[in-house]
Amino acid sequence: MSDMVRKANAFEILNHWVMAISFFILTITGFAFLFKLEQMNAVFGSFHQMRTIHNWTGVVFSASLFFSLFSYLIEALIFTGEDAVWLIKAGGYFSKKMKLPAQGRLNAGQKGYYLLLLLTGGAIAASGFVIWLMPGVKKWILISHLAHNISFDLLMLAVPSHIYLATLANPGTFRIMVYGTVPLEWARKRHARWVQKMGF
Amino acid sequence: MSTTKRKSLIISPELCIGCRGCQTACKEWNQLSATKTTNKGTIENPPDLTPNLFNRIRYLEVPSETNPVRWLFVSQRCMHCDDAGCMKICPAPGAIYKTKEGIVAYDKEKCIGCKLCVAGCPFNIPRYDEKNKISKCHLCSDRVAEGLVPACAKTCPTGAISYGDRDDMLAKAHAAGYQKLYGQADLGGLGTLYAFKDAPKVYGMDENPAIPESVVFWHKVLKPLAYWGLGGAVAASLLHYVAFGPKKDEEVK
Ligand code: HEM
Ligand code: SF4
Ligand code: SF4
Ligand code: SF4
Repeated sequence: MSDMVRKANAFEILNHWVMAISFFILTITGFAFLFKLEQMNAVFGSFHQMRTIHNWTGVVFSASLFFSLFSYLIEALIFTGEDAVWLIKAGGYFSKKMKLPAQGRLNAGQKGYYLLLLLTGGAIAASGFVIWLMPGVKKWILISHLAHNISFDLLMLAVPSHIYLATLANPGTFRIMVYGTVPLEWARKRHARWVQKMGF
Repeated sequence: MSTTKRKSLIISPELCIGCRGCQTACKEWNQLSATKTTNKGTIENPPDLTPNLFNRIRYLEVPSETNPVRWLFVSQRCMHCDDAGCMKICPAPGAIYKTKEGIVAYDKEKCIGCKLCVAGCPFNIPRYDEKNKISKCHLCSDRVAEGLVPACAKTCPTGAISYGDRDDMLAKAHAAGYQKLYGQADLGGLGTLYAFKDAPKVYGMDENPAIPESVVFWHKVLKPLAYWGLGGAVAASLLHYVAFGPKKDEEVK
């Protein structure tokens, strides 16, 4: 196990946890608002407090989304022919015999997921701030309420799938969120272009 | 189910003389302070509903062919919708609730001051007090619970605001020759009905009031999709795990 390569630095690991935890809190409190879950008072004290927590956790989430830009945006925007083949083969998730093309640090699915997260996360954050800071302005509130909830639904579909793919579906992946490193051989099989480029 | 009947008001603008006794009675019963306003050359005053003004007489001058000086006094207040947009969109349990008499009442203690109800209401009714808590007509829910008549209806000297069991009131109005009252069927039936003798727009009211489409769409589609989506994504993941299994390292080429 001596040949380990670094896939995420300390800041990226921290930021990922900040995003995950804030997202979890926002989801729980969000569901409580959505369905008027009075039982949640047992956890958050009151809906007043829950609102304050939701809004300020939104600030934390927005900050982590912003910092993630530096880690992923540029790479996620570059779409290669190999990415196209990867997508056509659905990442090999529906057939073990599939031979996948070499991928960079992010594979095509990860790029797509990041862009979706950026879009929906950006929309839910922006609309959340409007609902928070422009109360009573009917036109803006209606649009924001819609945007907040559409992005919420998309996130509820995307995030569990992301968690599954990063844990159960791909053993050895979750350690990136803990240690930031992976075995060189593991990386070579999945991110050949990246290993090549970095010269590991 | 309680057998208490749905209560309602019928407002007849043609009977209203614009005395604004209802505005005063409401303030008195609800202990709402007066607000200093300026004379704008109309009897309509204050110019809009406020957190201290739950009902208001709107004044409209709409000459018709037969009546060159037709003055209309139209009371404006919460309509106590059966399908209430304010209550639908409100995220705080118990902040806006229905009483057994069908009144759309509220509990300031539970209101979190987000003002989403403003966006959900088709009639631009909810206002906010200095603590950002919802404030509007509650059809004197406290009086009604004790079997009393709402203060504004009780005070009205001409019968322009009448109060009673909704079904009886509708039957009487129909017997008196009104084919259809304003609000009879809108939004599941309003609690505040209007006996208009002309098109609603003459009285400054929407012909077809409705909860904003985006709020209806949110309620019918987006809300259920949140938990079906989450549940579906988790279920699909587990199903994939069972059907295809993980990408074990030795299987990755
Ligand atoms: C990023 C900044 C965010 C801000 C400022 C924000 C703010 C708000 C506000 C003001 C509300 C209305 C209820 C209230 O006033 O308490 C709300 C509702 C809600 N939020 Fe957020 N939010 C943010 C992010 C998120 C995120 C990331 C999620 C999901 C993970 C989320 C999910 C929800 C849901 C489901 C509701 C209830 C829907 C509704 O009643 O319209 N929010 N949010
Ligand atoms: S301001 Fe109060 S009553 Fe209105 S939607 Fe928010 S919590 Fe509900
Ligand atoms: S008129 Fe507006 S505030 Fe009154 S019950 Fe209907 S939606 Fe709610
Ligand atoms: S019913 Fe009561 S609260 Fe509503 S306007 Fe009349 S007096 Fe005011």
